[in-house]
Amino acid sequence: MGKDWTASVNRIFRTIAGSKRVDKVPFLAFAGEQMICRVTGKTVKELYSSPKTYANAIITTFEFLNTDSINVPSAYAGPSEGLAFAEANNKLDAIKWFDYQPLMCKQGEICKTEEDIENLEIPDHSKNDVWRTSLKAAKMIQDKIRFPQVISLSIWSVIQELRGIEAYRDMRRNPDLLLKLCEKVYESQMDIYENWLEIVGMPPNVFIAGYAFNRHMMSFSDSMRYEGQFIKRMMEKIRVPFMLHNCGTAPYFTEVVKEIDFIAVNGSHPLDIEYWIDFRRKYPKIAIIGANIDVSREMLTGTPSDVEEKVKENILHLAPEGRYICCPVCSLPWGVSIPNILAIPRAIERYGHYPIKVDTNSSQ
Amino acid sequence: MKKEESLENLKNAIIRGDTDNAVELVETLINMQISFKEILNSAILKGAEEAGKLYENDEYFLPDLLMTGDAINVVTERLKTTIKENSEIVSKGTILIGTVEGDVHDIGKSLVISLLQGQNFEVIDLGSDVRPEEFLRMAKKVNPILIGLSGLMTMSISKMIETVDLLKKEKISSRIIVGGGILSSESCKMIGADDYAKDGWEGVKKINRLISVNEG
Repeated sequence: MGKDWTASVNRIFRTIAGSKRVDKVPFLAFAGEQMICRVTGKTVKELYSSPKTYANAIITTFEFLNTDSINVPSAYAGPSEGLAFAEANNKLDAIKWFDYQPLMCKQGEICKTEEDIENLEIPDHSKNDVWRTSLKAAKMIQDKIRFPQVISLSIWSVIQELRGIEAYRDMRRNPDLLLKLCEKVYESQMDIYENWLEIVGMPPNVFIAGYAFNRHMMSFSDSMRYEGQFIKRMMEKIRVPFMLHNCGTAPYFTEVVKEIDFIAVNGSHPLDIEYWIDFRRKYPKIAIIGANIDVSREMLTGTPSDVEEKVKENILHLAPEGRYICCPVCSLPWGVSIPNILAIPRAIERYGHYPIKVDTNSSQ
Repeated sequence: MKKEESLENLKNAIIRGDTDNAVELVETLINMQISFKEILNSAILKGAEEAGKLYENDEYFLPDLLMTGDAINVVTERLKTTIKENSEIVSKGTILIGTVEGDVHDIGKSLVISLLQGQNFEVIDLGSDVRPEEFLRMAKKVNPILIGLSGLMTMSISKMIETVDLLKKEKISSRIIVGGGILSSESCKMIGADDYAKDGWEGVKKINRLISVNEG
């Protein structure tokens, strides 16, 4: 019997919305091109060769991993956006392709100089092959398994691709120049959104890759200046609930949710479960996607039992009142064993059915 | 201006990342015939240390550390080209650093390089997307006291393992540190590195610690 995607759709979106009509804790995984190549045996360029090939490979992979989520990894304001800018500005040398992992944009190559920023052309995503294929693949997935596709946008992730470390010097030496670049990236994000509307349709949510919201990178006021204010502008234009992702080591989740209305947060840190318990207590209406199932710790070096224990700990601490989605802290790397990944849905099956039975002896 | 006052002012200019002021002050100190070692120890390294403390206390952030690193590098270069007693300038050793194959992220690595250069290390930056064989080739060529492997992506861990395996198989005895936000003590152990750092400043501190342990 095939996977029941309708049940997954209900599980994920009802959990995010805080509905009590959820059968069990959903499982969300960030399975990028590397994992899709691993499962299907195809190269990245083969995946991108047609929307149909790509969509089918994505469906095969997420079904194999038994997740409740599914998304097109390249339809994200990261490397693909670097590619779109590189193409629009005749700087394709900045792009590095790999056989079995996503393409990458050499940080700082596209906007090396002030002139590069002044003259930077905004990409037309409808003319970029990878974006066109990705958006059509998203539409095919949406039509085939009836899973509404969430759009992912970002400002700072793109700034880092385009300007690299110089962006951090600009913050002190030339903030106006940096803001000018942020404006251009914002325009480009809105172009992605317009294309998404045309090809995929209205997204149920926006998933913000908010890389600025990290204490190790910048002050909170700078994160609001260089990313937060643009997210607020996006919210005025895109009238759907927003979720925030940050994969930094010291995220500003508690600070940013006071300034911007997010319905869910997802991060790779902190790894201390107490932080998330406290977050849940302070912000009971914001869904938590993740917590501390670490792809570089128990998932990489542990056994399926270790992973199951970690999933159990997360569920018992964060899921009883709902609004919790089980998710490893970052994208699944090549070295993580398949049994360790599959231990997550197995542990959810065992411990994650509502109402959650909290065994206080074993959870402590 | 007295020597102590100039050194203190230089330290403060380093902390503020005020390169222009730092260069002016270093000129003054050069004219006062102050030794390279004294300028380095009493102003430059102290300034770097205090900027690091501000970073740890969330008063400074990556841009501020970068400004401090830039000021240190300009001042150190100025000193090296001016002071005749160059025999005093003994490098603390060579460090080989690069982002592993398949990864092109280099913001953390750039910060580490910027801060280490000013601390009188010879830093060789292999760039990003560096193959294990290239780390090995350069390690054999320059015999570094430490090799730093950087990587932001979770997928970089497998390349770090491959690189460290190759270096050890070829009997490279340099200390090895891996850097990246996704790393943990468990993954560090699996990679076979001597230590790991989750951000640039932690990397600088741990590199100094690893090297002093090596010397000790």
